[in-house]
Amino acid sequence: MAKKTTLTSLKKQEGIMGYLFASPWILGIILFGAFPFLASLYISFTSYDMIQAPRFIGFANYRILFTNDDIFWLSLGNTLYHVLIAVPLGMVVGILLALLLNNKVKGMSIYRTLFYLPNVVSIVALSLLWLWLFQPSFGIINEVLSPIYKLFKLEPLGWYSDKSLSKFTLILMGLWTSGGSMIIYLAQMQDIPTSLYESAEIDGAGFLKKTIYITLPLMTPSIFFNFIMGLIGGFQVFTLAYIVTNGGPGRSTYYYAYYLYDQMMTDRNMGMASAMAWILLVIILVITLFALKLNKYVVYLGEEN
Amino acid sequence: MKKIFTLIVNVILIFILVACTNGEDSGKIKINFWHMSPVGSPSYSPMRRIINNYNNSQDKVLVTGTGFSFWDYWDKIGIAISSKTTPSLGLSTIDDVEARASGKVLFNLTELIDNDTSDNNIDLDEFRDSQLEFATYNDNLYAMPFSATARALYYNLDIIEEKGFSEEDLPTTWSELKTFAKNFDEVDSQGRITRIGFDPTYGNATYHGWLWQTGLDFFDEDKNPTLNTPKHAEVLDWIKDFNSEFSRNQLKTFGEGNELLGINPFASERVVMIVDDDGLNQKIVDANASFNYGVTTIPIPDEDGVNVNWGSGFSIEMYDNGKRNEEHKLAAFDFLKYLMSKEVQIELAIANGWLMSHISAMEEYTEDKPILKALLKEVDNARDKIYIPYAPSWHGNDWQPFYNAFLDGEKTAVKTLEDARAYYLRKKSNYEATH
Repeated sequence: MAKKTTLTSLKKQEGIMGYLFASPWILGIILFGAFPFLASLYISFTSYDMIQAPRFIGFANYRILFTNDDIFWLSLGNTLYHVLIAVPLGMVVGILLALLLNNKVKGMSIYRTLFYLPNVVSIVALSLLWLWLFQPSFGIINEVLSPIYKLFKLEPLGWYSDKSLSKFTLILMGLWTSGGSMIIYLAQMQDIPTSLYESAEIDGAGFLKKTIYITLPLMTPSIFFNFIMGLIGGFQVFTLAYIVTNGGPGRSTYYYAYYLYDQMMTDRNMGMASAMAWILLVIILVITLFALKLNKYVVYLGEEN
Repeated sequence: MKKIFTLIVNVILIFILVACTNGEDSGKIKINFWHMSPVGSPSYSPMRRIINNYNNSQDKVLVTGTGFSFWDYWDKIGIAISSKTTPSLGLSTIDDVEARASGKVLFNLTELIDNDTSDNNIDLDEFRDSQLEFATYNDNLYAMPFSATARALYYNLDIIEEKGFSEEDLPTTWSELKTFAKNFDEVDSQGRITRIGFDPTYGNATYHGWLWQTGLDFFDEDKNPTLNTPKHAEVLDWIKDFNSEFSRNQLKTFGEGNELLGINPFASERVVMIVDDDGLNQKIVDANASFNYGVTTIPIPDEDGVNVNWGSGFSIEMYDNGKRNEEHKLAAFDFLKYLMSKEVQIELAIANGWLMSHISAMEEYTEDKPILKALLKEVDNARDKIYIPYAPSWHGNDWQPFYNAFLDGEKTAVKTLEDARAYYLRKKSNYEATH
């Protein structure tokens, strides 16, 4: 009996120690995660100019956003366009890069580092660099393309200063950071047993067949992971538009997060900005849950018993 | 050995702790001042000297200064106000003092000035009524005008003289401006503009600035958007038609070239005349530009023109974050009095390159500086933009998409103004529904 009591107290002690060790993290998530999270939910039901105390106004912010705010819908539309094109395109580029770098060529680690490098470059510096490259009148990209323009008697593309191309230009700029997802794809590619490729080769499969029937199916967990992360990041697109286009021309790159930022910092309308943040959370949550439902149909999770 | 090592470490630690405390500062009331002279900026050292001079001049108050760049400052002060972590004193924009005063985050300066019996009290006669009005809420002063910005017409005297003109020929009306500017336009063999006389969208020239000169405004007295008169559309058309002999593409390429150069088109001598503020003068001085230039009044409409320009100065405010006692408040006020004194206002003008708000200080400072003297003259005609609670950035974020769409030829002037007005009205109704 005495032994049992000692064991219980030891377990208790161990539990306390565990919580103590985890306490910085627990406190961190409560103070810097849960509190702002719940506070923003409350603020979304208030009128709050960041000077005077928040005043409860019920669902007014949500009602206005849905029924009397064209810019809300415009920014949401711009963001959806970005997500629909940037996420799949980013995945394709990431996979292609991973396939390219999954070879035993001399100096491969240098190439991998080079492709990953843009991910550690400040996005502001990166934006300024692209701003110069895509500059419609003096940029190097239009200079390189000038023989094609001349050949087909075309006007040089306006890139980010052309309303119809601006969103796509920002997507192209964003592709430069595909090295981040490439690393994840590459890690999973290298986990694929070589025996599978060897037996496929014996059966006469070439590079294309091996990629389609072995590599890609076995990479679906990482593809799915990058898809979810891409969705979340895609809905929060902001920095490139803020630096390169200022949301223009004609609000064509005025994304949801940009409008949210303006509501908060320019119009000092923290209640409305919080409501926008919660609407965005719900949108991302619904799409992610839907994607997770598809998980079992599209992701290879190993052979069933 | 172990004991000796422990002893040495302890001695070093005690030494460091003692060295970190500043005996001279104990017992002083500590206040902090946020300004726009960050570390690394040319104005950092002079600003630090101004603060140190105050600290050395008395033994009751210790001021610490924190400088942020202009672009970072607004987010920092905004967040500080909402989180009640404001500095004792800070700079802000004078046109929206009302928002902070009504939010009870500013100390009432009228009370402090009225109760001050010292001989270095702030002399309100030394500041322009037009600026003091903006800093007043419910008949009480809640801020002091700090700087006094004005817009004026800068002209490149070298290029003007090269073409056989003199300062006597400078335009005073809109039609004269157009005729005169056309003498300086230049295009290269490929049809690219290499120099332009004037463009009413460059520099600090704004639609509301041109509008004010015609006696019109964006908003009426009740802060409702106007914009729906034919005269409003005429002004917009005048702006667009000014350089109508060039295609939009030519003008756009020229504008992009200016942006890429990263320097003001006037400072790079690509534009002969430009509307800008006193900041441009400082930029030209900092860039060691070698050309001769001057400053004059912005031309006004030919008929019933009003001599007015956009002001937009900074205010200096004492923040009440709910935790500051009377002693702290009086200490901050003492530093405010120091900053608003004639001598320090001159020092601040030298430090920042700004025109300050103190009238006689600036008259004395600009006496031997013809450009600044001319700019100071324009301050008397400067007018600040009003604060619109439902659209604080009515002239910026809100208006720019409409303005750019018009300049790009996507909409007519009438349609642009109609759409903009509807947009402001919607913002107003949404604001009223939540406030």
